[in-house]
Amino acid sequence: MSELAFDREWSLAELLEPAILERIGPLLAQLLGGDAAIVDALGKTFWGVVDSKAGREALTLELEPIGYLASTTAAPGTLQAGAGFLTQLLRIQVRFRMASSLHLEAVAEDFETLKREHARLLESETRYKTLAGELESRVKAQVAQLDERQQMLYQAEKLASVGQLAAGMAHEINNPLGFARSNLSTFSLYLKKLATLKTRLDDVETAWRELDMDFVLEDGLDLLGETAVGLERIARIVADLKSFSNVDRATEELSDLNDSIRHAISVIERQLPPGVSLQVELGDLPAIVCLPGHLNQLFYNLIHNAVQAIQDAGHSGVVRISSRRTPQEIAISITDNGIGMGAEQRERAFEPFFTTRPVGSGAGLGLSTARNIVLAHSGHLTIASEPGQGTTINLSFPTPP
Amino acid sequence: MSERQDNSLSFKLVYYGPAQSGKTTNLLRLHDLLAPELKGEIMTMETKDDRTLFFDLLPLGFRAPSGLLIKFRLFTVPGQIAHDGTRKAVLSRADGVVFVADADRTQETNNAESFQSMTENCRRVGLDFEHLPLVVQFNKCDLPTAVPEAEIRQRWSAAPWPLVFAIALDGRGVAETFRTLLTALYRRHADNLALASEHGLDEAAFIAGALGRA
Repeated sequence: MSELAFDREWSLAELLEPAILERIGPLLAQLLGGDAAIVDALGKTFWGVVDSKAGREALTLELEPIGYLASTTAAPGTLQAGAGFLTQLLRIQVRFRMASSLHLEAVAEDFETLKREHARLLESETRYKTLAGELESRVKAQVAQLDERQQMLYQAEKLASVGQLAAGMAHEINNPLGFARSNLSTFSLYLKKLATLKTRLDDVETAWRELDMDFVLEDGLDLLGETAVGLERIARIVADLKSFSNVDRATEELSDLNDSIRHAISVIERQLPPGVSLQVELGDLPAIVCLPGHLNQLFYNLIHNAVQAIQDAGHSGVVRISSRRTPQEIAISITDNGIGMGAEQRERAFEPFFTTRPVGSGAGLGLSTARNIVLAHSGHLTIASEPGQGTTINLSFPTPP
Repeated sequence: MSERQDNSLSFKLVYYGPAQSGKTTNLLRLHDLLAPELKGEIMTMETKDDRTLFFDLLPLGFRAPSGLLIKFRLFTVPGQIAHDGTRKAVLSRADGVVFVADADRTQETNNAESFQSMTENCRRVGLDFEHLPLVVQFNKCDLPTAVPEAEIRQRWSAAPWPLVFAIALDGRGVAETFRTLLTALYRRHADNLALASEHGLDEAAFIAGALGRA
């Protein structure tokens, strides 16, 4: 049993401290006729002077005496009354001491409980902190992975459109290349005639007539002129492709959006399917700081979509491309009278990988990429579309201050 | 229990249970009913509304043939939820426990929560609950809303502790509860304290000594 436990058996010394004895001792002696002393449970003098002839009365708190009141002067009845009085005083003392000790123990217990609770909370807090930390890094890793995948898909989409473009371009280049080659082979025949003419210098006039050199001269110039035009065309196609493929040149430049629109148009014009025409009205625009390569792709995507929408509708149509400047913004719109979109399609149009076309025609990143490019230039992109009526894409970019 | 140099042995017995289940009433009736060789006055610490604030204490005792003084100090705990720290401190160092449950059907939850808190507090203060002498008393059996005895017995049939049904207000079952606890107490400690061999106390003498003429 702990020395401080409330339920220990209290000793006389604990209950009657010197300060109390000093006050009640003389009073007891006076009540008992002059002499009083207190003896402890083992018979040793606790307070006062004990005479061997003194009468004794037990002081009992629970079951056994914890001491005795002794007096030589008190009558037995008086001594008994004195002991009863002192016992009551001791009981009050012990009640108070037990209650205060128990109170201390209870407070200590409550404190222990609080400390345990606190430790438990700290532990769970640490656990959640760790979890939160891990969560953050896990989310970061996932986002990084998603970013990487999206980048890869974006590249794939770009490669696909470059492939389509290349096929169209090859066709375009083949045509002038074909007639340039044919012209040159004809021209080499003409040069052979010239060589024959050299062997007949004695009768140049007859030979000239027989070899029809007037025609050779005239046609030869035509052939060379035509070939030069063809080569010029090829050179322009290559130049267009080159500037169009500036997508990865991610440096900002001060540029006119109309230039980007013209680039896109020049590429698309050559691949226009029959029955689809472009109508272009470009107003004067201020130059803005932008990524021209990205904007080329933006307009290419949008105009290409418009052309495809007309093809999908199965009738002839016009894509109208206009740009104008208002005091607040640069407004560009691309309108087609093609197949149009329903509400559901319109809602999902910007979702990456959403496509209504067969697998292999594109990853469905056209509009999603377009919007990202517009947002990157602090602009807005909106779609208005009705099934069967056609689609209008409105773009706006802030004008430079 | 504690053995002291002055040839005495003291058992601390604790009456545990939910608020107002009749723990103090058990002690008051025992004080009236029992007549052991030594019986002290009840020390109570009640608040104004008769609820136990700290504890009640009833000391009882008798002397074994060997001269060994055997003392029982019966404590009650405060039942109110708020006094858990006090309950734990009173329960500390207990040698035996009477769990006083309230038989009123509306008190079933309070009984269960209090019993749960008792097992947890036993563990916290280092008591070996599995081997602790324990008696479960269902008090207020005379209430019209009391759960019937058969139902309680059926529900507690798997538990190892003896059940006693009581009406503490008129004293019924109170002494029987105490006797049942004394039996468990004797069986738990008789051997290690050599009660029979050295002190001439068999189970019947031990119980008779503690109860007196009751």
